[in-house]
Amino acid sequence: MGQPNSGKSTVYNALTGSRQHVGNWPGKTVEKNDGYYTYKGTRFTVTDLPGSYGLSGNSDEETITVDFIKSGQADLVCILVDASQLERSMYMVAEFAALDKPAVLLLNMMDVAKTQKKEIDAKLLEKRLGIPVLPFTAADGRGYTELKELLSRELEAPHKLSSAPESGMSGTSAEAILSESQAKYRWIAAVLEGVTRTATQKYKLSRFDRIATSPVKGKILCLGIVLAAFLVAMMVCVPIMSIAQMIPQLLYGPISSLLTGWNVHPWLVSVFSMMLPNVLYFTLSMASFVFGVNLAFGFLEEIGFLARAAYQFDGVLSRLGLQGKAICPVLMGFGCTIGGACGTRIMDNWGQRMLAMAVVWAVPCGAIWGVIPVISGMFFGPVGTLLVCLLILVYMVLMMWIVSKIFGRKLAPKESRSGMIMELPPYHKAHWKHILKEAFLKAWDIFRRALGTVTLVSLVFYIFSFSGSGSIQESLLYRVGTFIEPVTRFFGLGWQTFMAFLSSAFAKEAVLGVLNAAFVGQGGLLEATFFAKTAAADNAALAVSMAQTISKPEALAFLFACTFNVPCVMALTTTYRESHSLKWTARVALFYIGCALVLACIVYHIAALFL
Amino acid sequence: MKLTQTKSDQRGFIHAISGDAHFASRITAIGITEGTAFQTVRNDRKMPVLVYLRETLIAVNREDAERIEVETA
Repeated sequence: MGQPNSGKSTVYNALTGSRQHVGNWPGKTVEKNDGYYTYKGTRFTVTDLPGSYGLSGNSDEETITVDFIKSGQADLVCILVDASQLERSMYMVAEFAALDKPAVLLLNMMDVAKTQKKEIDAKLLEKRLGIPVLPFTAADGRGYTELKELLSRELEAPHKLSSAPESGMSGTSAEAILSESQAKYRWIAAVLEGVTRTATQKYKLSRFDRIATSPVKGKILCLGIVLAAFLVAMMVCVPIMSIAQMIPQLLYGPISSLLTGWNVHPWLVSVFSMMLPNVLYFTLSMASFVFGVNLAFGFLEEIGFLARAAYQFDGVLSRLGLQGKAICPVLMGFGCTIGGACGTRIMDNWGQRMLAMAVVWAVPCGAIWGVIPVISGMFFGPVGTLLVCLLILVYMVLMMWIVSKIFGRKLAPKESRSGMIMELPPYHKAHWKHILKEAFLKAWDIFRRALGTVTLVSLVFYIFSFSGSGSIQESLLYRVGTFIEPVTRFFGLGWQTFMAFLSSAFAKEAVLGVLNAAFVGQGGLLEATFFAKTAAADNAALAVSMAQTISKPEALAFLFACTFNVPCVMALTTTYRESHSLKWTARVALFYIGCALVLACIVYHIAALFL
Repeated sequence: MKLTQTKSDQRGFIHAISGDAHFASRITAIGITEGTAFQTVRNDRKMPVLVYLRETLIAVNREDAERIEVETA
C-alpha cells in the first residue's frame, strides 16, 4: 500500500509480471488487483491496495484498505513511501500504526532523493520504527531479489511498528481529526529526527513549470504535448498495424484454395479465409494501439507531466464529474477511441475510469472524421461540410454533457466529487525499460483477452452479412433491414443507410464500403466490411447513386447517427477489457445506440423542415 | 488572511482549517495541518492555488483554499 505517486503499482507489476488477476472489491466500484510470484519454490500472493493519502476512511479506497488489513487477510503489509518527500509521505505509516499489523517499509524513489542531495539514515529509521526499512528505486528494476528475500524473511518472523503516534482527541468531528493529524505529524517529526533533514529553502518553479502552470500558456502547452504524445503513439503503432493489415490479404488466397481443395463448405471456407485473418488483424491493431498509447502516456505519467495537465483542466472537467486527468483520454479520443479507452488507465479509480470511457465514446474518432467529409461533401458541398463538422462538434460537447449527467450520478456520486487537492510531483527521469515493459505487458494482456471477444462479435456480424452468391440481397442483413425499414424510416434511415449504421458499430471505416455495396451494388457486403481499409470504394459512383436514392435530411440524419453510434467493436472490446464490467459496457453501449437513433430521428425531422 | 489572498512567493504558516470532517481529513492527509510552514508558489485567478510545503508542491482548488487561514511571515 502507499500514497498516489509512491510507485506502488510499479512494485506490484514488477513482482507479479503478467501473473495478475483484476476484479472488483465486493460491492464496490474499486478495482482489485491480485497477483503472485514464486520465490525459492514458495508462491507469494500480492494484493495491490488502492492508493490514497490517508486511511481515515473517507473514500471507498480507504475503507477497503483498512478493512482488508484489519481482516488479517494479509500476512504482511508492505508500505511504500516517497523518499524524496519523506516527512509528508510518512503520514501513511502514522495512519497504519493504529492497525497494529506486521509490516515492512520501502523507501521508494531513492534515486530522486539522491539527486536532491537528501541523505536518509535507513538504519536509524529501522531502529525507531521497529520494522525493516529498505531503500529502493522501484522503476529501475534492480533490488527486487533483495525485496523478495526481505519479504520471505519477514513472513517467517514478522515485525510490527514499535512506536505509534499518541492518540489525540478521539471522535470523528473536524476538530478531532485536525488534532489527531497534528499528533501524527509530531510523531513523524520525532521519528525522522536525525534520520533526514527536511529542506526549508525557498521553492522556485523551474522555467518549464512556470509555463506549464500558467493559466493560458499552460493549457496550450498541455494540449500540444498530449497531441505530440498521440503522434508518437501513432508512430509506434502504425508500422505494426500496417504489417498486421497484410495478414488478411496474405492468408485469404492460400487458406481459401486449400480449404476449397478439401471440399469444405463455402461458408466455412470464408469464415477461415476471410473472417479469422481479419480477427487477427483487428486484435493485433488493437494491441498495437494499446502499446503505443501506454508507451506515450506511461512516459508522461512517469516524468510527472500528467499531474500538470490534471491541474490545468480540473476546472473544465469537474463540471462533467471528471478529474482533470481525463483531458488526456478525451483528446486521445479524437484519434482513436481505443486509445482513449486505454488512456483512462491514468484515472485514480474505477468509477472515474468508466465515466471517462463513456464520455470518450462521444468523441468522433479519426476513422469517422475520414467518413464525414466524403458523405457530407456529396450532399452539402464544401461550405455545408464545414457546417456539418461544426454541428457535430457542438453536439459532441452536448453528448459528453448528457453522458456525464446520466452515468455520472452512479459512477462519480456527488459525495465522492471533491475539489482537487493533489501533489504535483517533481519531474523524474524516465525509466524506459520499465515503461516499455509495462506497455508491452498491457498490450499483450489486451491481445490475449480480446481475441475471443472479437471473434464472437465478428461471427455474429458474419452470419448476418453472409450471402452465398455474394450479392447483397441474399444476406440476412438485407432481409432484416428491408423488413424493419418501416420502423427505421421513422428514425430517418432507409434500409441501406440503416445497414451502414449497423456496420459502423463494427468498424467505422466500413461505412463507405457498405454504402457502396448497398447503393452501387458493387462488391459484396462482406468484402466491404472486412476489407474496408484495403478495398477503395468508388466514391464518385457512390455519390451519384446515393444522391438519387436518399434525401438530404436522411443523409444528415445518417451522418449524426453514425458519428454518435457506439464506437467500433475494437473500442467496445477495449472498454470492456479495461473496465472489467460487461454490465456497464453493455449499459453504455445500449444508451449510445438508443441515443444515436433518437438523434437521427430528431435531425431528420428538423432537417426536413429546412432542406 | 485566507490562502486564496496570498501572493506568489509569500511564505508563512497555516493558521486554521475550517470545514467538515471529510475536508479536514483530506487536507491533513496530504500534509496541510495547522502550524505547517508554507510558501505560495502560484495563485492565479480561477486556477487552483499552488503551495509548497513539507517539500511537496500541492495544488488546492480555490473553494477549499478559501477554508484555509494563514499567517504570512
